[in-house]
Amino acid sequence: MINTLGIWIAAVLTLAIYSFLYKDNPFYKIAENIFVGVSAGYWAVVLWFDFAWPNLFEPLFYRGQWYNIFPVFIGLLMFAPLIPKISWMIRIPLTFTMGISMAVFITQIVQGDIFPQLQATFLPLKDVPAFTIFSNLLIIIGVIFTLIYFYFSKEHKGPLGIFARIGIWFMMVSFGASFGYTIMARVSLFIGRVYFLLHNWLGVI
Amino acid sequence: MNLIERLSKLDRRIIFLLVALAVIIPMLVPLNLPVDITKPVKNVYQKIESLPEGSVVLISTDYDPGSEAELYPATEAVIEHCFHKNLKIYMMGLWPAGSELGNVALNQIAQIYNKKYGEDYINVGYRPGGAIMLLSLGRNFADVIKVDYQGVPIDSFPLGKKVKSAKDLGLVMTFSAGDPGILHWIIYFHARYGIPICGATTAIMAPQQYAYLSSGQLVGLLGGLKGAAEYETLVNKKGRGLRGMDAQSIVHLLLVGFIVLGNVILVYQRRKK
Repeated sequence: MINTLGIWIAAVLTLAIYSFLYKDNPFYKIAENIFVGVSAGYWAVVLWFDFAWPNLFEPLFYRGQWYNIFPVFIGLLMFAPLIPKISWMIRIPLTFTMGISMAVFITQIVQGDIFPQLQATFLPLKDVPAFTIFSNLLIIIGVIFTLIYFYFSKEHKGPLGIFARIGIWFMMVSFGASFGYTIMARVSLFIGRVYFLLHNWLGVI
Repeated sequence: MNLIERLSKLDRRIIFLLVALAVIIPMLVPLNLPVDITKPVKNVYQKIESLPEGSVVLISTDYDPGSEAELYPATEAVIEHCFHKNLKIYMMGLWPAGSELGNVALNQIAQIYNKKYGEDYINVGYRPGGAIMLLSLGRNFADVIKVDYQGVPIDSFPLGKKVKSAKDLGLVMTFSAGDPGILHWIIYFHARYGIPICGATTAIMAPQQYAYLSSGQLVGLLGGLKGAAEYETLVNKKGRGLRGMDAQSIVHLLLVGFIVLGNVILVYQRRKK
């Protein structure tokens, strides 16, 4: 019974949202407002039960981890600009956040992203099949010329301009592929909704 | 007013209607168009095939209902493959709703294969913290995971006791719709602990992953609904992915037609001026 009710609510809301394609109407507005309200409520519950309670309040009040009060204090300093006299204190949480981010993210991104990606461009151009040579050459040229496009310390004229233009072509190919995949993604979402309406709601497929 | 001028003033709602028909009709009357298997998808299949029986596959459902249409069919197909191969599944989610969606698929398929919760599969639910959490997770699971998604202590399950750190995992399979997701698994987990990563992503995210496939940081990839359909073909499953491929192909043809037509009209109008 509950499941059937859920399917009917989802089906009616789906049709209400798609009705916007004809023109703006009250059914669309109702569905949109329900979505915004439900999302806000859902995230409030997630933030409390998955972040605040298990990481802060539960250890603080039930496990005697009194030192959790320090991160709370640092977090509260984010509101310092609301009191002009102590507004400078916002620097403390910001500095803390920046320090942590730099320590964790920069080192890991260099180790886990930049270096392996750079390494992946060191490709063999001999003792491999002809197509592999062509493919590897394409990757090497693509990387170098695209990087040249982002070199702004010299005007893009002469050979530098030609290389930068080739870099643009490579990026255009990449944007084209992304656009194609984006269309596929949007159509897939619509297919998902149509499948729900025809299978779960109407039961005709 | 000639045909081209009429087309240039076409009500866009007619285009919406044509797209809707191009999706609905093939779903009602399947054409069963062939689905080619691409190398990144084959790599995922072969990686799972190569794992010894009893290996643990960590499945991370990093998406929400907004991407369910693209990623849920892939989730089902991969879970089915893992159970068919007698692999253990350790499920978690970097997105709150993801672990709920994954749980539905996990429980349904576990029943079909007579798998037992806690021994053959486990769901530890949503794990917030993104990159920092993944760095801690690889070092010591107990730092991050103390209970399963229902709040039962993880050590009370045989599978919970078995997985203590990243080295106890045979593979990480992430179903990813954004941030945190597949890039976090590659950059913060694979790079630090060396565990092989396979992924299924939304189609929008797929092109970006090819750089990681090329560098070997990612073993295999299921891109969007097409990736799910390819995987369903490999595991002989007639699921939602394959069901949607006819519609996908017809709509793509229709859109190519619209793009060509739009350009013809544009060229005609420019010449007329």
